[in-house]
Amino acid sequence: MSKTMNSDFIRKYGVIFGLGGIIVFFAIESPQYFFTISNFMLISKQSSINALLAIGQMFVILTAGIDLSVGSMAGLTGAIAAGVTILTGSVFWGFLAGLAVGAGLGAVNGIIVALAKVPAFIATLATMSAIAGITLIYTQGQPIWNLPKEFTFAGQGEIGDIPFPIILMAIVFIIAWIILTFTKYGRHVYAVGGNIRASRAAGIKIKSVLISVYTISGFLAALGGIVLASRLGTAEPTAGTGYELDAIAAVVLGGTSLFGGEGWIVGTIVGAYIIGVLNNGMTIMNISPYYQEVVKGVVILLAVMLTSFGKKFWNE
Amino acid sequence: MPILRVENIHKSFSGVEVLKNINLGIEKGEIHAIVGENGAGKSTLMKIIAGEYEPTEGKLFINDEEKHFASPLDAINSGIALIHQEFSLVPQLTVYENIHLGREPSRRFIGIEFVDKKKMKRETTEVLSKLEALHISSESRIRDLSVADKQLVEIAKALSVNSRILIMDEPTAALTLKETENLFTILKNLKNHGVTIIFISHRLEEIFEIADRVSVLRNGELIGTKNIEKVVMEDVVSMMVGRSLKHRFPEKVKHNIGEVILKVEKASSESFFKNVSFELHKGEILGIAGLVGCGNSQLGEAIFGLRELNGTVKFEGQNLKIKNPTDAIKHGILLVPEDRHTLGLVLQRNIKENHALPNLDFLTKLGFIRSKREKKSVLSTIGYLNTQVRGIGQRVETLSGGNQQKVVLGKWIARSPKILILDEPTRGIDVGAKFEIYKFIYDQAAKGVSIIIISSEIAEILNLSDRVLVMSEGRITGELDPKESTQEDVLSLAVKRKES
Amino acid sequence: MKRYLILLAVMLVGVTAISVALTIGFCVSTLNNPFFVSFTNGAKAEAQILGINLIVENARNSNSTQYSQVEDLIQRKVDAIILNPTDADALVPAVKDANKAGIPVITLDRSVNGGEVAVFIASDNVAGGRMAANYIAKILKGKGDIVLLTGIPGASATRERTKGFMEVISKYPNIHIVANQTANFDMAQGLTVTESILVAHPKIDAIFAENDSMALGAIQAIKSAGRKGIIVVGFDGIPQGVQAVKEGTEALDVAQQPYRMGALGVSAAFFTVNGLKFTPAHLAMPLFPLTKNNVDAWIAAHPSH
Repeated sequence: MSKTMNSDFIRKYGVIFGLGGIIVFFAIESPQYFFTISNFMLISKQSSINALLAIGQMFVILTAGIDLSVGSMAGLTGAIAAGVTILTGSVFWGFLAGLAVGAGLGAVNGIIVALAKVPAFIATLATMSAIAGITLIYTQGQPIWNLPKEFTFAGQGEIGDIPFPIILMAIVFIIAWIILTFTKYGRHVYAVGGNIRASRAAGIKIKSVLISVYTISGFLAALGGIVLASRLGTAEPTAGTGYELDAIAAVVLGGTSLFGGEGWIVGTIVGAYIIGVLNNGMTIMNISPYYQEVVKGVVILLAVMLTSFGKKFWNE
Repeated sequence: MPILRVENIHKSFSGVEVLKNINLGIEKGEIHAIVGENGAGKSTLMKIIAGEYEPTEGKLFINDEEKHFASPLDAINSGIALIHQEFSLVPQLTVYENIHLGREPSRRFIGIEFVDKKKMKRETTEVLSKLEALHISSESRIRDLSVADKQLVEIAKALSVNSRILIMDEPTAALTLKETENLFTILKNLKNHGVTIIFISHRLEEIFEIADRVSVLRNGELIGTKNIEKVVMEDVVSMMVGRSLKHRFPEKVKHNIGEVILKVEKASSESFFKNVSFELHKGEILGIAGLVGCGNSQLGEAIFGLRELNGTVKFEGQNLKIKNPTDAIKHGILLVPEDRHTLGLVLQRNIKENHALPNLDFLTKLGFIRSKREKKSVLSTIGYLNTQVRGIGQRVETLSGGNQQKVVLGKWIARSPKILILDEPTRGIDVGAKFEIYKFIYDQAAKGVSIIIISSEIAEILNLSDRVLVMSEGRITGELDPKESTQEDVLSLAVKRKES
Repeated sequence: MKRYLILLAVMLVGVTAISVALTIGFCVSTLNNPFFVSFTNGAKAEAQILGINLIVENARNSNSTQYSQVEDLIQRKVDAIILNPTDADALVPAVKDANKAGIPVITLDRSVNGGEVAVFIASDNVAGGRMAANYIAKILKGKGDIVLLTGIPGASATRERTKGFMEVISKYPNIHIVANQTANFDMAQGLTVTESILVAHPKIDAIFAENDSMALGAIQAIKSAGRKGIIVVGFDGIPQGVQAVKEGTEALDVAQQPYRMGALGVSAAFFTVNGLKFTPAHLAMPLFPLTKNNVDAWIAAHPSH
């Protein structure tokens, strides 16, 4: 009895201890600067964009898929939100356009995967490249800037001393947690990823579940892209490049299985924080950027080994 | 002197003892059956003998010489080969490449080692002819072979490294009757050549047909070893379950058979079955027998909407077109699939979620799960089916086969089915759980549920059904009254060829 | 600088004498970056003036793509190839192929480590680094805590700008580099890295970012942390950087002149085809120290931005 409990326990909570360990390390190394409330606020703000992308990514990975297009999607939607804002003079239409394009292109990903049956890795690799191209065409390779003040609120604003991106991340996290834990739809997402054939035999509409998770991923990538553009006050033509890797890393660090059907959303947030804390802590300690890359790689590897090796170990 | 002897073997996993003080001797050239319910410790014992696990305590002797196996390779070098249910063959490689995998003979040419293909093929043909299995080409790829032929290749692989002890784990589970007979002929032949065979099976009939001796394990203990001539099946069953089960089948429960609920006319699906017509009555238990591959499983799947079905289906007097399982579920036509791992369960999720999966329509409100109602529904079916679980949050992959099957049955009971299609409902399930599933079938019929049992276990079909249809090569070849029919009657219809 | 402008002016007068339409290939490493967009626009405008048929190829930062683009241009027998190489080593064979075919090669912004190049035109990044360091040293009066935000590790621009900067700054013992981090020439990273650095260092006097994007990210970080009195120096002179100089948030922008560089590349190709030999075969595009004092004049002189 204890063995399965232990393996589930490690898989689920191991990442939290990992984050705790990293925080303790930096807190000892730099108590006066790292271990302060304002710095945790900063880390939260810095992690928020990755967290938004990672939550969307998690829905996809739970169905045993992957969405490589989230980074370029964030870039495109940020640019569209900025461009439409300038065109219409209305931040409302700008944000709406960005989010709509994100959800729409996400749905396209889903349709390619669910109906055309192209493997998710290939399908989203292709759309990743196509979307990056569309961004360059749309922006003509030039940044879009001189954005109105309201536009920058999403990334730079505060509500009662709490930066708005953190509030947004918290809201999205709670909604996603409720969906995955308490709703019929959430159960369907887990089931389709766990066993697609058994899910079909249980009467689940597989195609709509698949299309919807990619739509969610596209929508949240757009939200992340808008926060990014808003934080910078600029929509850069190459914004978001490589963000898909951080998002996938956060999801996997959080213990979600790349084979689908298993995962805990708290883990995903913690995974995003691990990446954020590492970046922040190592910069504060002025560790050479060359070593930073190595450390990040090793930490990700260790964490994944801990969850999968831990599972094996306890099952023996 | 036994060829293989284990002494005081103990084995624990994270403090849980799964084998307790096992003492067992296997004689040279015998076929020794090991039986026991799931979780009795059969597989663990076999894995210790085959070097996959090390025992926590105890000794292992081969020809009275003590051995320590640190890996399966040590066991193979001592002449022991374990043939799993999941084969250890590489599907993309050919038969001869698989047989020589990791020990390819080579020839030097201009100082370079080349694989000696000729020698590999020659040796493969030799060993296959020993098994009288020359219908298998040494150059076929494994993925193109039938399950039975894969198994023969696996045996050939073992023989080609001079294994003297073959351990076979449920070798007949996926074989047709004819293939099973063929395998038994080969095993008897090997025995006559001095090969020792340890045989694990759930099918007691088979054990009585082929084994010389039988050892029974229960809860990690060896209950006893008997000469097969000196016992009857009931003795073995009571040793396995620890109590006397008078019969393998429960007493029939009276149930009323009503009007026609389902009428299938001239149904066909791809190459699986053709022109199949039959009727099913309310409260009836209808058996559809046939050898593996006769199309009965596919018929069940087609009625449930997992395959395309051409022809007409009338349900409660109305024409019904079922395009997918969603339609079938809506009408209360439910399938318990043959392979519960691929079609019945989401293994990495827990009992509660698996139970609720097809039932979320009435366990949710505005898309939100009503957890109290959900919990109640799971608990009541677990109670009804006597499912042995630690809690409803247990992952189903950690359950035994019988309890997994009860989870699959349970999720359908929760919706009050009208028609239950049970495809091989007791495959891979131990005797105790089988008995409970039989009782469940009677109980459902008594409640007015119509039941279709699809099975290749003829005894099961004859004992449970009110009426039996037999299929062969995708057609219905006859209908029998089980009260007046024997296993031979069923078999003769099941092997009936197409009339030309 | 003046010398070349006079040279060009003299040459331009001669243009009318030559009337055969030329076809010239223009291989740009990427158009993902405003610098190269402006650079390509300059080339296109110059080609139009000179009546040259300019074939623009975008390698999208892929060495193999650029190699095959050069091969295609050789096949088309263009009169000259202007190459903005994706990599100094990977494109050597491409240049050698062009040499064999007798097609002159002009390299822009980055050079190649082999083959024959008729002329190589680039900004003097080392000098630019020195310019930034001298400015910071002067403003801080040789004393203070500074931050260095470097570009993509290993890139030639990063190496050269860092080299020039360190050369000068190391002469001031009282200027301390308290943080030396990369932000990969990226604005978002410039923001997050600076945010974290600001946490660790309550007192910072100046930040040198090796391009404008990172400088703009740093400015954003300083603004959101509510810090004051930090001198930010950027590099490149992209429009947003120029704007920041005008607003006073970026104290100095070491401005490149990509538009002029692209134009110069095309005219250099034109004269090479017409038999002129450049000695030395290296033209350094001057860098311009853009500050609040001269920014309006700069904007007036660069309407195409």
